Amino acid sequence: MPCCGPATRSRSCPPSAVAERQADLRIRLWNGTFDPLANLAAWQEELPGESSPAAAEAHFIGRVRNTTAAGEPLEALELEHYPGMTELQIKRLAAACARRHGLAAVRVDHRVGRIAPGEAIVLVAVRADRRGPAQRALMELLEAIKGEAPFWKREWSAGRGRWVGNTPLAGG
Amino acid sequence: MPRPPKPPLMQPSVTVLLFGQLREAAGWERRELALNDAGDPPATPAALWRQLHLEGLGSPWRVAVNHHFVPPHAVLRPGDEVAFLPPISGG
Repeated sequence: MPCCGPATRSRSCPPSAVAERQADLRIRLWNGTFDPLANLAAWQEELPGESSPAAAEAHFIGRVRNTTAAGEPLEALELEHYPGMTELQIKRLAAACARRHGLAAVRVDHRVGRIAPGEAIVLVAVRADRRGPAQRALMELLEAIKGEAPFWKREWSAGRGRWVGNTPLAGG
Repeated sequence: MPRPPKPPLMQPSVTVLLFGQLREAAGWERRELALNDAGDPPATPAALWRQLHLEGLGSPWRVAVNHHFVPPHAVLRPGDEVAFLPPISGG
């Protein structure tokens, strides 16, 4: 169960001393390729710098594997979403996570549509005042997105598509 | 001055959406469904699931109404958008 759900509070998620600060939330879905490092650099440029007490950042970039869950060569990963709700739900999850950890800023970029192996599928970046909240928030927001944001994956291999379930954390 | 013709009465209805493997198994993705005027019993996502003969697909993993997750027995109102969602696999 992700910690960043709307009505949950885990013992591993202590509220930060700056929990009341309004976080800067930037959520974007991409129908085509995006460059996660360029987006990350742009995000860092745009955020307030020296005036902010937030000195810790944690980032995650996920890319599409080149094999299916069954180990066959992957042609493409198709990612269906629910337009309108998916963006809103990621924003809700990010806002809940930001409140819980006192984050200063969150950025989530997520691909939709047909994605080739090696292409970025998700970028999650968080900024906090300490490394602990930043790292915990990053992991929990990722898990929340995987399980609570309406996306559906279909693997394409040898011209055939197969819907897949969520992957456990240990399996990535 | 002659009165303009009355617009046709709008039947109270909801929009039903299917996604992913649910959409493919059912063979459709969007339907407009009239609500029972009497409201007795009240319309719920669970009742719509039966009314649309979707029981053969099992149970939807989650239901959303107007972009919010709701329990399957939430009462629906005219104009609601009801989405039946298969297991989520994002990120």
